[in-house]
This record gives sequence, structure tokens and C-alpha cells, in this order.
Amino acid sequence: MVKWQHKHLLGIDQLSGEEIGILLEKGSQYRDWLEQSPKGSKRLEGYYLINLFFEASTRTRISFEMAGKLLGMEVVNFTNELSSINKGESFRDTMLTLAQLKADALVIRHQSSGIPLYISQFLPFHIINAGDGMREHPTQALLDLLTMKRDGIDFTQNTVAIIGDILHSRVARSLCLGLKKLGSQVIFSGPPTLIPSGIEVLGGQVVYPVEEAVRYADVVYLLRIQKERQEAGFFPSVKEYNQFFALKENRKGFDRGLKKIMHPGPVNRGLEIDSSLVEAENSLIEEQVSCGLAIRMAVLETLILEG
Amino acid sequence: MNKVLIKNGTLILPQTDRIMEADVLIENGVIVQIESGIKDVKAEIINASGCLVGPGFINLHVHFREPGEEKKEDLLSGSRAAVKGGFTSVLCMPNTQPPIDSPLLISYLLSRIREVALVNIFPAAAISLGLEGKAMTDLGLLKDAGAKALSDDGKCVKDSRLLYRIMTYSKYFHMPFILHEEDRDIAGEGQVNEGSVSVKLGYRPLPKVAEDSIMARDLVLAHSTGATVHFTHLSTAFSVKLLEWFQNQGAKVSADVTPHHLLLDDQSVIHYGSLAKVKPPLRDTSDINVLKEGIQRGIIRILASDHAPHTLEDKEGDFNQAAFGISNLEIAIPLYVKALIDDETVNWLEFWKLLSLYPAQFLGLAKKGSLAIGMDADITIIDPDTHHEVKVNEFVSKGKNCPFDGWQLRGWPVATLINGKIIMKNSKLEG
Repeated sequence: MVKWQHKHLLGIDQLSGEEIGILLEKGSQYRDWLEQSPKGSKRLEGYYLINLFFEASTRTRISFEMAGKLLGMEVVNFTNELSSINKGESFRDTMLTLAQLKADALVIRHQSSGIPLYISQFLPFHIINAGDGMREHPTQALLDLLTMKRDGIDFTQNTVAIIGDILHSRVARSLCLGLKKLGSQVIFSGPPTLIPSGIEVLGGQVVYPVEEAVRYADVVYLLRIQKERQEAGFFPSVKEYNQFFALKENRKGFDRGLKKIMHPGPVNRGLEIDSSLVEAENSLIEEQVSCGLAIRMAVLETLILEG
Repeated sequence: MNKVLIKNGTLILPQTDRIMEADVLIENGVIVQIESGIKDVKAEIINASGCLVGPGFINLHVHFREPGEEKKEDLLSGSRAAVKGGFTSVLCMPNTQPPIDSPLLISYLLSRIREVALVNIFPAAAISLGLEGKAMTDLGLLKDAGAKALSDDGKCVKDSRLLYRIMTYSKYFHMPFILHEEDRDIAGEGQVNEGSVSVKLGYRPLPKVAEDSIMARDLVLAHSTGATVHFTHLSTAFSVKLLEWFQNQGAKVSADVTPHHLLLDDQSVIHYGSLAKVKPPLRDTSDINVLKEGIQRGIIRILASDHAPHTLEDKEGDFNQAAFGISNLEIAIPLYVKALIDDETVNWLEFWKLLSLYPAQFLGLAKKGSLAIGMDADITIIDPDTHHEVKVNEFVSKGKNCPFDGWQLRGWPVATLINGKIIMKNSKLEG
């Protein structure tokens, strides 16, 4: 068994397949554990967690908060209050002020790529990246992998088609890296304007059209399409996006019975995916949320007790 | 059963580079036999002796003005002019009123075309909504609705980011672009080619750099994105050189010229006044020579005509207020004969490739552009030798804005068949 040796979770890029395996193993146990009621563990009692979200987020923040509380941690959330913290301070000074609060772990989301790595160089906490710009979102990738694993997917015999706005997506980057480390194949598809050149560096392959990508996939992973992308001219209209790039019941190459459907949420029903497919039998979208809670418990515990 | 037999013609087969004496039998809109001495008592006979018989001409650039400007032209008058001109297929530019920028408008136009058209009329759709150059149209939905190409013809797409994005996006749908290149910031209110004529007559100059600079940008964009991009109505020598350079780099770029840019130079404005006012403006003799050389060397592979009918009111009076454009659809072929065959720039086989095979390939029309068994029976027959005078007042087009009135030309189309139906015979429209 490999020994865990990371103080921080900054990205999937830094982890080996075995290390991902450790987290998935533990995450899977917590996922089972979550089914009991009442629940509550004192594994991390007395430890303090700061949730620091510079970017709007509800589900990830709540998921971390609950994960910490279920393990007995004290959790402090900073979101909208940030502006009153800094009052003209530099970002670095704000971070150094936080350092004096003597917490144990810091979950951070920031709109700029690379911020978690930067602060990990001088803050005394365990840093957990909850999404940085267009770079990484490691706990999302881990929860996706956990969802697949628990669904019985053999990673070495698995092809995942990630469809949509790859360009702006940290989820696509982290997930692709994770899947490749576990031996899966990754396909990207979507409007060519939203698939960056150089994407192959992640180990995935670009396949057009969407029908072909879906045909080869065991798992179809849709990304959320933000309305701003249309306004910025990446695709002409919601109607056209839905017609050509969304997952639809009648999409050629899509066999409802054989393919699993995933989505990081929140879902735009009727935009990137037909509403009826969100809750389809082969949809893992709801399970992804529960796995998210479980994997974040696993991450907190592993970093704090072993990192 | 509808059968037509074309007897004793000289057949031009651009797809196989062959010229042969033979007959052509057409049945139910399809070419079924090409051989010498075909006999068929049931077929209607066209005697093509002394004439050239080839696949119908395809014009990538016409304005039929419908909807919105039916005073200038409509789908019926435009298609009659096309038939007279020997064109069996045309691509209509979308700068109508309103511009063709939505699938709904494409569907509307196609239903009008089914109702009245005599030739195959294909619609092009706008690149940007309302031709405003701000937001891209639904090009996938437009293609599904029946649009064959994208064009903001009449102007260039000024916003580089928009064009870059839509070119990138277009690859998914394999939609080609047709670009009208003129940098509006440089062109301003320019009226005629910058040079001796603009100086002498005191008209605002429209310099060549307005065309060349924006074309250079778009060649870079096409090369970088891999989009299929066609530059329409080239007028300058430098644009041919730019095009060649990018073709050598592997960019999927092509171009067409109009007959007036090959036959008239900027001095024509002194003679013909606003009838010779056109965009891009007529240029110098040196430009004409390079355009012809570009055709000869295969850099320019398509001949289109930019048929731009206007009412005479739009052309009269103040030169500066006069509309740009020339109505030329029914004389484009003899004009090209004069420009390119008479001085041996090209031979008849090459002529037919430029007007039929290559435009069919550009539009992805697999059943057109070739004279072969199994192809659509779109056929044009030309009498290469008889000279006629151009009489603009006899144009079937509503647009009489044409400087070529009174010119003696040869190489007139004498018969036109569309989908196996004879629409023009003995130089006369049927029905």
C-alpha cells in the first residue's frame, strides 16, 4: 500500500493513480457510512476548517461544510464578507491575516488559476483547492471517479466523453487527468470554439461530431453551458447548441440503455441535456452529489491525519 | 416519360478533360446516355450542330433582391435572366430586406423558390445577424434549413473576433464562407478606384488597400482555423498574390472574378458614368492582367458575375448617390468569352470548369458540374461563333443597369435545360 504524502490537495495533476485509489477507497466507505442515521463522527474533532470562496458556489461550499461537520470539525465560512476583510489590503496580506486565525485546513475557490498553489507556499494550513480559474477542481474529479467506481465501472475498460465547454472548464481538466491516471480513455467534443487547441496535453482526444463521441463512450459527461458564452460569441444560440451539442433522447449514437450520464451540476435542463435524461435510470447525476460529500470527508481526513 | 435528345453537339466534359462529338439522351431529368448516333423517336430533339454542349453553368454570386426589393429583381425575373444567360444554378446573396439570417427566412425563401423559380436557386445565409457584424447566425440550423454558404456580401465582417470564432465554429458543420472584402474604415465614402480617374473627376477614392488589407487578415484567419473561405469579386493584383501564397500554405481558400472586372478598367467611369460604378471599383489594366494570369494559373478557379440589378432611378443623377452594381446575368457568358477565350487565357474546357465543375464542387453539388451518365440533366448549349449586339432594353432582368449596351459579343447560350426540362431553346425562353 502506498503511503499518503501530500500536505495539500491542489490538483489531480500532483496525484498518482495509487493515491487517487486511496481516496476513492476511503470515499467509498464514507459513502456507505452516509446511509446511516443518526450519523456523526469525532475523527476530526477539535480541528478547524475555513471555507474561503471568492467565487459564487453553493453546492461545493455546503458539501465541504457538511463533510467537515460530519467529521466533528468546526467550520467557518467566508464568502460575501471577504470584501470587508480586505478593505484595501493586498491579497497576500489578507491571506496572512487569515493565517493568524490558526485553523487547520483551508478550502479555497478562486477565479484565478494558480491561487491555491500560490498560497500553499506561505500559509501554514492544509490547502484544498475547491476550483481555481480554468485550471483544476480536484474534489469534483474525485467525486466523479468515485461515482463511476461505485457504479461498477472498470476504469481500464472505460471511455468517457466529456461534452461542452471544455475551454473554460476546470472540471474537464481535472476529470480527464484523473481518468487517464486510472487507465480510462477520454474523448472531448462540443463546439470547436469551446475546445481549446492543445487539449491533447491532458491525454484526451477530440472527436467530432458529438454523435461520434457519444457512440464510443461508456459514460457521457455533460458540462454546464453558461449563457455568457453565447453572449461572448462562442456559439450562436441556445437553440442551436441544444440541437447539435446537447445530449438528447434521439441523438444518434446515444443508446439510452447502455450509456451512463453524468453532469457536475447545476444542470441547465433543456440546454446541454434533455430534461428527461437528468433523472433517467442510467443517470448518475444525483449520486454524484452524495459521492461529493463522501469524497470530501475522505480528503479532509486523509490530509489532516496523514498529510 | 420526359425524354430529350441533344444531337450532333460538341460535348464538353470538364470532369474528365474531354471534348467529343456525340449525342446526349436525357430521361426524367437525368443524363442516361452519351454516344454517337443515338436514336429515340419519343424524345424531343435539340439540334446542337455547331454548338458546344456542357454541364449547366453555376453562378456563385447573384442578387435576386427577394424579399424586399422586388422593384430591382425578383426570383422569377432573376431566374429568367439566368436561363437566358445559360445558368442552371445560382447562389443568391442574403443581403435582402430583411437579410436572410434565420432558418425561418431560409425556409420562406425556399418555398418561394419552389413556387416560381425556373433554375436551381440556392440561398446563402448571413454570417452575422442582420448583417450587422455583431453576433453570429445559427449556422448549423441554417445549413439544415438549406443554406449552402455564409456571406455578409455587400460588406466585410469588420469584427475580427467574430469572424475568427465563426470560422472556428463553422468547421463542425463544413459550411463555406463567401467574403466580400472591403475595409470600411479605409474605404469610407470611396466611389471609384484611387488614381488618375478619382483625381480627374473629383470622386472620393476607394483604394486597393481597402480590399487587400482585409483580405490578408481573412486569409490568415482561414489558414489558422481551417475554414473553407471563398473570396468573391477579386479586383486587385495584390489580392491574387496573397491568395496564391496562402493556397501554397494549404489554406482552403478560393476566389472568383466578375466579367466587368476583366473587361473594364477604372477609366470606364469617364465613359459610362454611374453604370460603371461598382464594388469593388473597376481597377487598372495591370490588375486585369494579373487577374487573368491568376485564372490561367489556377489560382482563381471560379467565374461568378455579381449580378446586381438596380432600378434606373437608383443609378441616375448624382454619381455619389448612385447605387453600386451592374446587371449582367444574361450576358455574363459572352462577356467571359470575350475576356478569356478570345485572347486565349483559357480554352473551352477550362472555361467550363471555371463556370460549372468548380462552383459545383464548392457548393458540394455532387450531381452537377459534370456531363456524365447519372448526373442531373442541367445543360447549357453555346453557339460559339454567332455575334450579337447586347441590347440592354431587351434584358429579361428588371435590372437595366449595364454598361455593355451595344457591345458586339459571341458565345451566346442558345439552349438551357434544367433537370431535363428545356427552358430555353433557339435562344428563346420556353413558355
